[in-house]
Amino acid sequence: MQDKSLKIGIFIIGLFVVMAIFAPIISPYDPSAIDQDGLLMPPSFKHFLGTDTLGRDLFSRIVFGSRISLGIGLVAVGIATLVGLMLGATAGFYGRRVDTVIMRFVDIMLCFPTFYLILAVAAILGPSVFNIMIIVGLTSWMGVARLVRGEILSLKEREFIQAERSIGASNLRIIVRHLIPNAIGPVLVSATLGIGGAILLESGLSFLGLGVQPPTPSWGNILIESKSTLGVAWWITIFPGFAILITILGFNLISEGLKKKMGN
Amino acid sequence: MVASFVFLPCFFISSMLFAGDITTPDYGDAIVSASIADARTLVPILASDSASSEICSMIFNGLVKYDKDINLTGDLAQSWEISNDGLVIIFHLRKNVRWHDGAPFTAQDVEFTYKKLIDPNVKTPYGGDFERVKSFEIIDDYTIKVTYKEPFVPALSSWAMSVIPKHLLEKEDLNTTKFSRHPIGTGPYKFKSWKTQEKIELEANPDYFEHKPYIGRYISRIIPDESTIFLELQTQGIDSSGISPLQYTRQTDTPFFKKHYRKFRLPSFSYLYLGYNLRDAKFSDKRVRQALNYAVDKNEIIKIVLLGLGEVATGPYLPGTFAYNEKVLPASFNPDKARKLLNEAGWKDENNDGWLEKDGKKFEFTILTNQGNEERLKVAQIIQRRLKEIGVKVNVRVVEWSVFLTEFIEKRKFETVLLGWSLPREPDNYDIWHSSKTNEGQFNFIGYKNEEIDDLLTQGRRIFDPEKRKAFYQRAHEILYDEQPYMFIYVPDGLSILHNRFEGIKPAPIGIGYNFIDWWVPKAKQKYK
Repeated sequence: MQDKSLKIGIFIIGLFVVMAIFAPIISPYDPSAIDQDGLLMPPSFKHFLGTDTLGRDLFSRIVFGSRISLGIGLVAVGIATLVGLMLGATAGFYGRRVDTVIMRFVDIMLCFPTFYLILAVAAILGPSVFNIMIIVGLTSWMGVARLVRGEILSLKEREFIQAERSIGASNLRIIVRHLIPNAIGPVLVSATLGIGGAILLESGLSFLGLGVQPPTPSWGNILIESKSTLGVAWWITIFPGFAILITILGFNLISEGLKKKMGN
Repeated sequence: MVASFVFLPCFFISSMLFAGDITTPDYGDAIVSASIADARTLVPILASDSASSEICSMIFNGLVKYDKDINLTGDLAQSWEISNDGLVIIFHLRKNVRWHDGAPFTAQDVEFTYKKLIDPNVKTPYGGDFERVKSFEIIDDYTIKVTYKEPFVPALSSWAMSVIPKHLLEKEDLNTTKFSRHPIGTGPYKFKSWKTQEKIELEANPDYFEHKPYIGRYISRIIPDESTIFLELQTQGIDSSGISPLQYTRQTDTPFFKKHYRKFRLPSFSYLYLGYNLRDAKFSDKRVRQALNYAVDKNEIIKIVLLGLGEVATGPYLPGTFAYNEKVLPASFNPDKARKLLNEAGWKDENNDGWLEKDGKKFEFTILTNQGNEERLKVAQIIQRRLKEIGVKVNVRVVEWSVFLTEFIEKRKFETVLLGWSLPREPDNYDIWHSSKTNEGQFNFIGYKNEEIDDLLTQGRRIFDPEKRKAFYQRAHEILYDEQPYMFIYVPDGLSILHNRFEGIKPAPIGIGYNFIDWWVPKAKQKYK
């Protein structure tokens, strides 16, 4: 059972990753090619997911959009995981004051309504793919930090760590070589979940106009455009929404699968 | 001999009688309209954005106004006389007009408004017209005499500027006064409340000098997004709004909208343009601006963005008026010519990366536009696409309206802006194009300077005979299209929708809003208390 969800998840995400990598080969049209005679065409053989208000091919835009959306998801979560791991491990290992300071900082960060924090930062720095990756990353590491700290608190009392200490290993070596590799399991689970969250966050930001700027397609900003065509062109709403849904489902399945695997 | 125009105050009533309209209008109800942007100030002589101007026009009056056929008629002035040489205008003001706080309106208020308009410390974009006044005399409380230094054609229409109350503002600094959020005027509606970024509410002025408006309240809801406005229409949360071409042609083509709303397609009196910041070295060469114009297909833009509901703009004059030069034809879409012109101006693809360079710098610029206007965003993307094809990289940046005006336009921090101007019937656009109008808060924010234009616009305001005057504006039209300080894009049709419980609407050349105080809702259909 658990195996199945992991496999399905990997299959789905694999598909999207392949799509992102080979976007120029897969997409039949240039994603920003405007066609004045083909505005808002419903799905057909020529344009299989239809066209948008500028006559651009929706399928090509979703394919290219996967690069941005997956890219943001992966990089942002990468940043979050890295920051979370370092801070969490430091807090858990050194304990006492260091722990208090770091964990209170985590509490403070958690108190912010993240989405508004991101909105504010995006408004100041100006929207770009790069900024969004950084912003989303730097505002979503707290979960990872807590998780890692918890794991390390229990791990550091175990015999193998004491053995390591008895032979005079440095703190850094203990943390990097022994503690982190042993704590990584749950982090992976939360990271896969986090990728889904980051993609959603980018969609939300784009939806509010603070995300990826036109004409670069991302799933989120294709969705914004659909607002103005509600009731006239269902395909512009349904397909990018579906892409987001399936991708997040994929990551959730992977994370589910990993969790169960480690449980065994 | 003195030319004299007399205002006919009974226009609306008489036309209703002739139409055989026997139902008497009911008072009450409210109209809820939607505005993309919040107002910025309700001091009318400072208001330069359409959201502020619209609210101000309900609260204040000028001495004159445009009637339904776009001719000037009296407002606070009952009648006026212009001397034969055009140098002197004598206004006879209405008596018994009161400010919303009960104080009487007199010639003192007009003088005060005039003084503020020419006060260099007041950040008003409308001062230009009033600097031509040589003397302003109060003859008695209800008569004023304005003398001009030289004949000035837009003189009469310039007095459509709203009059502000002296007794309330005498001791205030207009730029910072609290009055800007609690205005007191003479108009058909009184200010009631303003919740920032939410709504502005006005109520009928029972003592309005024409008559009390039938509709009891006017509520302007600020909804910064066109699709949300549309959703509000679907729940009948708003009664009137401008709508997009897609909404006009397709989304409102449903039984629901046919049952509850009326649609209007009228001239919009505006045009869309891409303004180049001419302080920027990239845009200082005319050939570059011409090239960009050749590279963008305006017909394509109209077809995609307006779904055909509009026409190509070739200059800042209203098509069909005497100032509009029919001989100025839109440049054809010609990317090859564009490339050639750019080459001549020194822009070449030196490193074969697909983008043009000059002195090692890539030709790249940002189109800045305001949030909430999907048409402009689409236009920006089409321009972006077409310029990419000739090797010019364009970025698009969308900014919230008030930030857009204060941080970018007023501070001149932009490369290009995609914006619209209204197109009045009076062609005088001295404030937008004259080289003396480039300072902060003034309308020539692109920094355009051309001696011949300065000269033409100055002369155009001096000669009254439209036949002779025509020559100046038609020449200005020609020059502006050749010089391309703006890429003139389109003149859209004005599309709007109104809930059908309102009666008394009579579409006219100027639109539908001119007789707003005569609109009414039958008691049985009234929705709001």
